[in-house]
Amino acid sequence: MRTTRRQFLALSGAVSAAVALRLDGVPAFAQTGPIKIGVLAAKAGVLAPVGESGLRGVTWATDRINAAGGILGRKVELVVEEESSPKDTVERFRKLVLSDKVDVVSGGISTGVGLALGPVAEEMKAMWLAWDATTQKGVEETIPKPRYAFRSTDNECEAVMASILTAKNWKGKFRTVAGINPDYSYGRDNWAAFLAIMKKYGIEIQVVSELWPKLGATDFTAHVAALQQAKPDLIFSCFWAGDTPIFMKQAHAAGLTTGTRFVLTTGGGVHESLKKAFTPEGALLGYNSMYFEHPRASALMKEFVRWHQEKFKEWPNYESDHGYFTIAAYKAAVERAAKAAGGKWPTPDAVIPALEGVEVESLSGPRRFREDHIMEATFFQGYTTHKNRYDFATIDPVETMGTKQIQKPTGLGLYDWINSWKV
Amino acid sequence: MLGGTFHAAVLFLVAAGLQLVFGVQRILNLACGSFYALGAYLGVSAVTWALGAGLPAPLFVVVLIAAGLALAAIGPPVERILRTIYDRDESFQLLLTFALVLMFEDVIRFVWGTAPHQLGSVYLVYGQLRIGGSTVPVYNLVVIAAGGSIALGMGWLLTRTRFGRIVRATAENREMSEALGVDMTRVYRRVFTLGVALGTVGGALVIPATAATSEMGIELIVEAFAVVVIGGLGSMRGAAAGALIVGLLKAGAIAVWPEVEMLAVYVVVIAVLVLRPAGLFARAAA
Amino acid sequence: MARTAGGLAALAVLAAPWVAPPYHLTLLLPAFAYGIVLLGLNLLFGTTGLLSFGHALFVALGAYTAAALTTGLGVLHLEAILAAAAGAAALVAVPLGLLCVRYVKIYFGMLTLAFGMLFYSFLYKFYTLTGGDEGIRVLRPLLLGRAFGDLGKVEFLIGPFYYYALALLAVATLVMWRVVRSPFGLCLRAIRENPDKAAAVGVSVRRYRFYAFVIAAVFGAVGGALLAVPTGLADPLLAYWTHSGNLVFMLLLGGFDHFLGPLVGALVFILLQDTVMSLTAYWRFVFGAILAVVVIFFPRGLLGLLDPRAGRSA
Repeated sequence: MRTTRRQFLALSGAVSAAVALRLDGVPAFAQTGPIKIGVLAAKAGVLAPVGESGLRGVTWATDRINAAGGILGRKVELVVEEESSPKDTVERFRKLVLSDKVDVVSGGISTGVGLALGPVAEEMKAMWLAWDATTQKGVEETIPKPRYAFRSTDNECEAVMASILTAKNWKGKFRTVAGINPDYSYGRDNWAAFLAIMKKYGIEIQVVSELWPKLGATDFTAHVAALQQAKPDLIFSCFWAGDTPIFMKQAHAAGLTTGTRFVLTTGGGVHESLKKAFTPEGALLGYNSMYFEHPRASALMKEFVRWHQEKFKEWPNYESDHGYFTIAAYKAAVERAAKAAGGKWPTPDAVIPALEGVEVESLSGPRRFREDHIMEATFFQGYTTHKNRYDFATIDPVETMGTKQIQKPTGLGLYDWINSWKV
Repeated sequence: MLGGTFHAAVLFLVAAGLQLVFGVQRILNLACGSFYALGAYLGVSAVTWALGAGLPAPLFVVVLIAAGLALAAIGPPVERILRTIYDRDESFQLLLTFALVLMFEDVIRFVWGTAPHQLGSVYLVYGQLRIGGSTVPVYNLVVIAAGGSIALGMGWLLTRTRFGRIVRATAENREMSEALGVDMTRVYRRVFTLGVALGTVGGALVIPATAATSEMGIELIVEAFAVVVIGGLGSMRGAAAGALIVGLLKAGAIAVWPEVEMLAVYVVVIAVLVLRPAGLFARAAA
Repeated sequence: MARTAGGLAALAVLAAPWVAPPYHLTLLLPAFAYGIVLLGLNLLFGTTGLLSFGHALFVALGAYTAAALTTGLGVLHLEAILAAAAGAAALVAVPLGLLCVRYVKIYFGMLTLAFGMLFYSFLYKFYTLTGGDEGIRVLRPLLLGRAFGDLGKVEFLIGPFYYYALALLAVATLVMWRVVRSPFGLCLRAIRENPDKAAAVGVSVRRYRFYAFVIAAVFGAVGGALLAVPTGLADPLLAYWTHSGNLVFMLLLGGFDHFLGPLVGALVFILLQDTVMSLTAYWRFVFGAILAVVVIFFPRGLLGLLDPRAGRSA
């Protein structure tokens, strides 16, 4: 039987109508019983420690909420799936929304996944609160006006902060610069931001080496040798994974840590592995949006840190705060929307405007979602010191900058924004 | 240059294991990377425990090698699994080793978790040397020396001992060796275990300079393959030459044109496969 | 018996959008796409005896073609995209094939693995062209010129797109059936059994292997383009060697000996992966174990189990 084009279209039209009818029959949202929150956490590969950290923040937030009676009296149930490749993660997202019928999905760290999930969340009309993965492309090019996708802070924030601090504190103290950054969008974007900001501040630098090891590389002997040859005054690196301590160890072993200034924008994420034995003092170290030992830490933060250390024998890093915030923000938004709806459980459409502009007390301090669905938080960086009771370096004093200073505002491109600064 | 040699030494150990197993059993073991990773993780655990129990720091390398050798115990059981398909098409053997890769990945994750594991400061226990304008940790030289001695040791083993002669004979002509009364089962088991040991010791030896990460096995396979292709399948000398070439090539790329670091190795592999498919030290190959 | 089973399966697949839950329908889409890819891979492996460990290269190529056309050139007609994917695959497969088919067995596997990883690195590094690690979006295509704009993406996927993909799979299956049954296919099987003998009777071994390679590549890219539509993104991980490994796994699972093995393998693998992933975080271990069991005990796959005769219909 040869189906003509017309017959095919007619058939498909009928099918679509039937399918649409079937989907309408599904209740849009439940109002009683536990509410389900889907979680996408990376479990394998270089992202795994970060995924685990985010999941811990989410779990702790959920446990606390449930201990206090849940959200509007409904207990929260987490449905955890794995974040892996973009293709597989999109499928898990669809499962969470279609099969598990979660109310909101929290998670997502890698840039590829972030780029894929945005449109999918919009298409499926499913709220998605990301932990990370916010690139220019992901935000501006893909969905300029998202409704369901809520993203984390820009990837460049820590580079911006580190660059500003370097410009202010080390101006005149360095001339030759080397960059060693992971060879992918995050590495490139941060390095480019650093160079642009140095230029903006009128700091004359000469780039003597630009190295691009693969993300998650484990051997830097050749890179260190190249750096030794180049003899930079300052080394800039946005390593955030296991590569950070390996690089520092091998750099130290080659004598690079004496006499060279280090800017490690995101190394604080693996702070416990930056042992005093090979991490020099006086290096600029960034902890993204959470520093575990902030002198002015809130009671909430202290409680979380204590719980984390007791349970995992590790000190937490920033991804826990990203995870915590998504749950806390969702709760706050639901409560806010419910109040407007006279106490009834709000529809998803009512929760979204409540999420926009919502501000909650997160682990490291107040955080909020901007109206354009980008997160606002505080970032912590500082100069390393060995004066502590651990075997790894910490920072003292702790500098803080809010996203109002280091994240581009709505509607402005990163470089346009940098160029508009008054310095 | 020295940096390239350090990396080459470790690559050689893993590639030697690959070559040995391929030469005798005609199996290309994708799981060689997994053995490497296991050696690394166990090395960290063993040394951390030993130092905590009071071992004097300079002896850590003994513990490392011991950990690597101890892991060779997984050789016989794994070989037993592979033995079930010796007579099958090579593709199946490759697939079985791929299955092992998947399984080992999760075993490592189950035992050691997802965060990188490292040894803090033993790397510099032997101090540093200034060689030609750069500072080199003595440990790097120790590893290079270890790689070199193992290479020489393998050479001696293969040419001067009875076991070595049996191995080479089996590699040349399996049927003939069997006809002459060689116990194939034992030879295969020993060869495979030796191959595993080379990988695990390689992983253990590298760990003070780096960290054990979950992807290290999968990443290494591609490089180990490059070494084996360049050097020639089944040849021990090929493993050494190939490892040196790959190590120096990477170091060279990083020094001269860092952007191509990722691509350089594959391009050379393809070039070798095209121009001289049997590799530099060819055997009568497939 | 096989006929009725096959008929029932076909009926189930046709009727699924009316009865099955939406999520499971979205799961069937990659199964269809992988089915097409594996039909091609099986021509190479099952019929010609060449095991490629880099076939994901062509899958990724198809996905990126779809991305380049929809995002870069604004071409949304799926027919044009599929044709372009096939063309791109042929273009790449010709030089690659000429090179690779000079080698057999292990060398072929290693060479294809190397090329697959080279492509992966290329996709990762040349980010201005390929989007790097972020990839390039694949926009929703037009099916036979129709946009189905009133449907949401999910309704689109489990409705018109489902049937389109299924029809494409049917077409691909018919085409491959003709190929495999043709004199050309016969020669390929002869080459697999005994290359020297085949050459002795005048079959140009290298040339025929080359043709098989190119055909497999084309099927791979068409499947890859189809695969990218539900995801909405083409990213470098599609070309990673473990993805190639999974393709072979699927093939083995279904049964490379049997013509419909690829389709069965794709379906079972996708459903199995979904189930196991939800059950345990250590699903890779489970999958490795399954693969090991299949390789050792059931090398002829599921269809080999069900069909105890030497099911050499492929």
